[in-house]
Amino acid sequence: MPTKTINKLGELERAVMDQVWALGESGEPSVSVRQVHEGLLRGRDLAYTTVMTVMGRLADAGLLVKERGSGRAYLYAAAGTREELTASSMLGQLQGLPSADRRAAMLHFLGDATAEEIADLKAALAEVEKRHGRSNGGRS
Amino acid sequence: MLAALAVVLTAVAPRAMARQEVFRRSPRAALLGWQAVSLAAVVSAVSAAPLAVHALALGGAGWAAWAAVPALAFSGLVLGRLLWSGHLVGTRLRAARREHRVLVDALGEAVDDEVRVLAHPTPTAYCLPGLRRRVVLTEGTLRALPGEELDAVLAHERAHLRARHDLVLEFFTVLHQSAPSRLQAPEALREVRLLVEVLADRAARRRTGPVPLARALVALAGASHPETALAATADVSATRTRMALLAEDDAPGWLAPVVYAFAAGVLAAPLALLGLALGSMGA
Repeated sequence: MPTKTINKLGELERAVMDQVWALGESGEPSVSVRQVHEGLLRGRDLAYTTVMTVMGRLADAGLLVKERGSGRAYLYAAAGTREELTASSMLGQLQGLPSADRRAAMLHFLGDATAEEIADLKAALAEVEKRHGRSNGGRS
Repeated sequence: MLAALAVVLTAVAPRAMARQEVFRRSPRAALLGWQAVSLAAVVSAVSAAPLAVHALALGGAGWAAWAAVPALAFSGLVLGRLLWSGHLVGTRLRAARREHRVLVDALGEAVDDEVRVLAHPTPTAYCLPGLRRRVVLTEGTLRALPGEELDAVLAHERAHLRARHDLVLEFFTVLHQSAPSRLQAPEALREVRLLVEVLADRAARRRTGPVPLARALVALAGASHPETALAATADVSATRTRMALLAEDDAPGWLAPVVYAFAAGVLAAPLALLGLALGSMGA
């Protein structure tokens, strides 16, 4: 089932956001699920309900803002540009979770450091380079 | 005896073990040792009270039968606390990961099925474990790291995901949270976190050698953004430790077997006491 594959890779989340941004640029800041669905249909087999589910999830994550339309259906607007939303998600402002939970949910390559600690790390790096030979990395 | 063992294993052993820095040079064996200690603590804590009562009853104390109820209630409480804490921690972590995955999928550029690159200048690298796992980088990371160092970081993150290090951390977080606060050993949790990082570093080192990984550690530590810097000095001293371990030779050959034997012994202790207690009752 093609829709399943698309969704599994998380491609649909991005496609929906791109569609909402594109419609916003063409003068429609608030769009319905149907409009997004129609835009995405070109060239693929995609259920309306799948798009609805994904848009609901994007709204929960704070990327879309949900508003009551004139009819029964909800309208959605992007909560910001890609750059704005990326910046706020980097700072952890989009999710309502306490930061301890957020930190535990992901495995970070490393924590943040002060200048003094970095100097210390650089000294340690010199030790690693000395013991394992400079030829290894190729950068002087 | 079992009660004493439970307290020792929960409160004393973790502090002593965390000080044995040589363990870090054999991280796989060390993690197994930690798991053995915590499992043994759980077994002791759950079985201590009912066994004590049982022994008293056999010893002829008439009132012992009445103590059975609170003893069983105590065991039930310990077990219930563990399960409840497991449920809470698990649900919270999974919800946080699910929501964050939606964010990175919607905002990031898909490099392949797993890797997402966010359009942001701050270099960072992390992974979201689970069935629909992701490695998240930023454009800043790609700029800061030349090819081989990036390979090292990716190998590190993929090692976390492949080996499900998140489950190991979750297990210890649950145990930590369900232990009574006066018996909690935060150094145990910190040490386990470090060991998991050292394990992933080993995987990266096998792929690229130690130098690119060490350079990546310095490059990413030096480029972090002031706004995201939460009081994380413990993390940095962990980074320093990881660097030092990269410079060191592999652990001496005898270390891993010794740690495995220790793990087996620790796990056997409460079971042996349990068997002994039951055996003496049968007699």
